[in-house]
Amino acid sequence: MKIEGEHLLPATRDRVWAALNDPDVLVKTIPGLKQLTPTGEDAYDATIELAVGPVRGTYQGKARITDKTPPERMTLAVEGGGRPGTIRAAGALTLEAQDASTLVQYVGEVQVTGVLMSVGHRLFGGVAKQLAGVFFKALEREVHQRADPEPVR
Amino acid sequence: MIPAAFAYHRPRTVQSALRLLQLHGHDAKILAGGQSLLPMMKLRVATPAHLIDIGRVASLRGIRLRQGVLRIGAMATHQEIEFSPAVRRAAPALVETAAVIGDLQVRNLGTIGGALIHADPVADYPATVLALDAEFTLQGPAGVRTVPAAEFFLGPMTTDAGPDEIMTEVAIPASPLRFGAAYLKMPNPASGFALVGVAAAIGLDQAGRCAHVRVGITGVASAAYRASGAEAALAGQEPTDETLARAAAVAADGVDANSDIHASAEYRTHLAGVLARRALVLARDRAMASGRRRRSASRV
Repeated sequence: MKIEGEHLLPATRDRVWAALNDPDVLVKTIPGLKQLTPTGEDAYDATIELAVGPVRGTYQGKARITDKTPPERMTLAVEGGGRPGTIRAAGALTLEAQDASTLVQYVGEVQVTGVLMSVGHRLFGGVAKQLAGVFFKALEREVHQRADPEPVR
Repeated sequence: MIPAAFAYHRPRTVQSALRLLQLHGHDAKILAGGQSLLPMMKLRVATPAHLIDIGRVASLRGIRLRQGVLRIGAMATHQEIEFSPAVRRAAPALVETAAVIGDLQVRNLGTIGGALIHADPVADYPATVLALDAEFTLQGPAGVRTVPAAEFFLGPMTTDAGPDEIMTEVAIPASPLRFGAAYLKMPNPASGFALVGVAAAIGLDQAGRCAHVRVGITGVASAAYRASGAEAALAGQEPTDETLARAAAVAADGVDANSDIHASAEYRTHLAGVLARRALVLARDRAMASGRRRRSASRV
């Protein structure tokens, strides 16, 4: 299943790139991310706890940045699973500077197995879109905070 | 098809249900009819350790029409709504909606509060509660709050309601003079869920122009939404077949339509326009008929 979307962030491309590569930022922005442990260069182990309606699960996964061209583009491979099923995804993020803002576009191919797929296939695309929306909104808050630290008076 | 083990609780009041919910937190799930939750538990997609059945909470039942507001207890079943004289009088489009949900067994057990909180993107009620400007009462540890339908549906099975809140009531303003509404859907032939469902509501002014227009759409996007473009296109207009058709044509504009094995995004978008036109025509005809009926009644 293909998922794609885009989000305009009100920050420069360098700033957005830095945020996307900062584990501290990712922990605060990825929905349900409980733990992110670096396991090597551009490789992480992640634990995600998500509840979508009555479907609650803890998912263990590995994420690897397979290719990156700062501050324009990175490709990612994600593999994970939990009780409701497994997910394998590969995708690319591209950052395009637009004046003082940055357009982030994502496109990926996701494979889902288990009950997650047999029951959830008609919901999956929508859930992915919704979670991406939550992530980008949180990311927007993060880059904004980092960009304009509250002046101390 | 046997669910994982769970503890079953059957509180008698909202307060004790909330206490149980707080006590068991992440492991608990409210059972409000169970017509979506129980199949998911049988497939073990959902495995709550605690099930809090609010079916015997008396205060959540009952349907009242008072001072121009229809108040439906969250645990009213679809069947109770379908046959309630108060709903028929104050919000006939909701009767029309309840009547086409699932099958008879589902309508006998499923509840409006359960269906709204579950927020399946292809469920029927969301379109109609959006078109009728419904407001939901939620009760949680922090107290009671109300949320308009337009701010409630956030994504697939995702709403503004917190995991520690219980929906207690659905309030709908009783339809005034010269007001008509309708719900139409194209059901998936296998599941009965809406491939696309459209609820339209039109209120006419003295001159017969659209003073109030609402279009709620389910099944198209990842959450039910109001077709604000179609609503705006009709504001202040005379509701001729042509203007209604023009408004319906933009019913899915700017919407990220779902694509799955049942229907492509193009198909859903097209269907949204077709059903929006039919629902708007029906709503207009009913609004005009309601004006005539009330006028002749007042002359007697």
